[in-house]
Amino acid sequence: MAFVNELATPIVMGILLGGLYAVVALGLSLVFGVVKEINIAHGDLVVLGSYFGYVAMTVFGIDPILSLLIGMPVLFGIGFMIQKYLLNRAFRVSMDAVLIIAFGLSIILENIFLKVWTPMSRGLTTPYALSSFSIGSIRFPLVYFLDFIVAIIVMILLREFLKRTYLGIAIRAAAQDRKAAHLMGINTARVYAFTFAISMVIAAIGGVFLGLTFPFTPVSGMSFLIIALGVVVLGGLGSIAGTFVGGILFGLAQTVGGHFFGLAAQMLVAYTMVLVVLALIPRGIFGR
Amino acid sequence: MLLPMGQGTILKVSHIDAFHGSFQALWDVTLEIHPGEIVAIVGANGAGKSTLLDTISGLLHPSQGSIEFEGKDISAWVPYKIVDLGISQTPEGRRIFPDMTVLENLKVGSYNRRARPVREQNLKRVYQLFPLLEEKKAQLAKTLSGGQQQMLAIGRSLMSNPKLMVLDEMSLGLAPLIVNELYRVLREIRQEGITILFVEQNVRRSLLEAGKAYIMESGRIVLSGDASALREEESVKRAYFGA
Amino acid sequence: MRLTILRPRGGLTPTIVVIVALALLPVIGVPRIWFLYIFLFFIYLAMANMWNLLSGYSGLVSLCPAAFVGLGGYTLAIMTWLGLPYYAGIILGSITAALFAMLISIPVFRLKGIYFAIGTLVVPEILRFAFLLWKPVGGAIHGRGAGYTVKGVAGLSQAQVYWFALAIGIASIFLMRYILRSRLGRGLAAIRDNESTAASCGINVFNLKLYSFVISAFITGMAGTILYIYQGYIEPASAFNVRWLITIMLATVIGGIGTEEGPIVGTIIVVFLYFVLAKYAEISLIIQGVILIGIMLLAPRGIMGIIRETPSYRFMLQWVTRC
Repeated sequence: MAFVNELATPIVMGILLGGLYAVVALGLSLVFGVVKEINIAHGDLVVLGSYFGYVAMTVFGIDPILSLLIGMPVLFGIGFMIQKYLLNRAFRVSMDAVLIIAFGLSIILENIFLKVWTPMSRGLTTPYALSSFSIGSIRFPLVYFLDFIVAIIVMILLREFLKRTYLGIAIRAAAQDRKAAHLMGINTARVYAFTFAISMVIAAIGGVFLGLTFPFTPVSGMSFLIIALGVVVLGGLGSIAGTFVGGILFGLAQTVGGHFFGLAAQMLVAYTMVLVVLALIPRGIFGR
Repeated sequence: MLLPMGQGTILKVSHIDAFHGSFQALWDVTLEIHPGEIVAIVGANGAGKSTLLDTISGLLHPSQGSIEFEGKDISAWVPYKIVDLGISQTPEGRRIFPDMTVLENLKVGSYNRRARPVREQNLKRVYQLFPLLEEKKAQLAKTLSGGQQQMLAIGRSLMSNPKLMVLDEMSLGLAPLIVNELYRVLREIRQEGITILFVEQNVRRSLLEAGKAYIMESGRIVLSGDASALREEESVKRAYFGA
Repeated sequence: MRLTILRPRGGLTPTIVVIVALALLPVIGVPRIWFLYIFLFFIYLAMANMWNLLSGYSGLVSLCPAAFVGLGGYTLAIMTWLGLPYYAGIILGSITAALFAMLISIPVFRLKGIYFAIGTLVVPEILRFAFLLWKPVGGAIHGRGAGYTVKGVAGLSQAQVYWFALAIGIASIFLMRYILRSRLGRGLAAIRDNESTAASCGINVFNLKLYSFVISAFITGMAGTILYIYQGYIEPASAFNVRWLITIMLATVIGGIGTEEGPIVGTIIVVFLYFVLAKYAEISLIIQGVILIGIMLLAPRGIMGIIRETPSYRFMLQWVTRC
């Protein structure tokens, strides 16, 4: 019984964390499913969200979650322009060009962060970020719970958007058959820009909540990217439900792995699981 | 509403060349379609028929010559604007959206600006022409049979409120009974005033349905004219009917 | 395969003169600071040539050169701790990198294009973690994390290390020439043109890509060992850092991916850029990122791509190959 009790905390934490990881991965999954580009800069865009929340908190005294009200439209606009003026153009060169340009973007972002905010690690330390609460005998930080709730909300909103709006349907159409989408009168270049913009917004939300949960540095982008990639490999690209499951699996691997192998090894366990799954099922568990 | 035939041209393709990379796929292709006509482009596999349709739809741009729709030069237009204008292609291989339901596929069809306000009317019309689609409206498109998918593809094109419908290899891989049914629907659509341009490998059947036909070989138009006259042509008989 | 195919454009004699001149540089006496950059030039040149082999000729945009650099370096360091001489370390380091490439090719090559990029991106990160936690020899830690000094290299002069770098840099150029004109090269050209057609012609696509990957790992690893002989110590964060990738990607892209001369031209420019931007550490990287994006959008074929189009280049080519 004690054994189960001992495991209960890491398991619950893993699941809650998994929701957050799913949000972080959702933008990446969306962009790849629709535009068929792997946005290597995705992790850094998440960190951009974290720093946005940080600035709101330290410079303007606004709660980071509230700051998202301004943050989301701003980052939506930035994302729209990145896709429209940078990445859409890159497509015309080649797929490799898109990869390289995304990489360049990543380098630029990371070093801007380094210059402005120094390598020091930061956190969105709001009062509630430090409080914890318990269910039964399990005690965990409040933010983990918030993370999970936000994750569910974001996923439901995205799903409804994709199902009910014309733009949402256009996005799904472009993802499933590009040529047919053209023949339906869909302006795919604009659809891609919207998709990227949406992914930026989701990334920003992920960034803020990540910042509330863990400390971050200018180079955290790589770690977030690897988490997102790991989640997507586990859950398959292009499926919201899959990303959710992937996130939870990743979170569990981390927390349970950390429980058995020590904190230092927890990411290693998660990465190894990703590589193993990649080797066995290249398309991921839910992938198409 | 029957449109009088020969009222100017609805589509005019003049001396176009088109390339796939460095490979020339179309050589000096010219054709003319009048409103309300039903025109066939026929030829063997690889004759360039699909390339011609893709060029008309704006997926490819001609390196020479021009394409005019209702008098407007659309040679350099992007595909979605051409759909806005009123040309709708039912592509080769159907290309329905596999992970969407039948109804969702039809809804995508009405994406363009002209079609959105009349979506519900068009939907009713499509259901009238293809009752099967209404029956299966909540089913995922990938679960439909070949013939049903073709019906869906045609229905989807209709949803875009087209003036000119362009169909690429509609009968490919389908049983004759289904093909007959599809041609029946095409005839009905034509009665409503939509111009039809279709591309086929089955020369004999196409020449039965079409009013006018163009025969293509290796990227060129080699013969054109009234379909029934072409059916009697010796060269056509020899080449395509194995006489 | 006859060695005459290695005959450089412009003739054998001028090439030998150039190489000898470069070799004599440390003896003649070059300002210290320049020396470092010229040294780095040859190291980066070898790595850039190998990256070009992968991304320009094999259709593999590999994001893991840091893995081979770091593995080469760590093998070297660990071998020297075990008492082996440094030249054994060089050989073993290169072999280790090559073996590692073979190992990870199993999962990573099953992935097409984009998934391949994912796989190769993650690999250096995993190695970084691994070497942070794993301390195979000695308890001494130099610097932060699980760093090691490289033993047994104190006796080497700068000139000697420089000659190693020169050797690998020049060798990489000749190696590329050889590969591109060999059966491997022709197979790769077919794959680059149209992979499925090449496969149906009986070309074993997987094997050819594997050969490229392993060769590239070997040379990159070797360059890494020479670098760390010069540097004298190694630690995970810098060994497996993404900076290797940025440098050689930028060099290859600027010079022209998929061209033979591209990496040479590009590396000259990048090293010069480093020289100029030496004082501005973080801004230098921002500038490099901007340049990378700019080149891919405006001149994706790089400098050699542009030059090749001009008539004066063709003229010069004819004139030069006359002798």
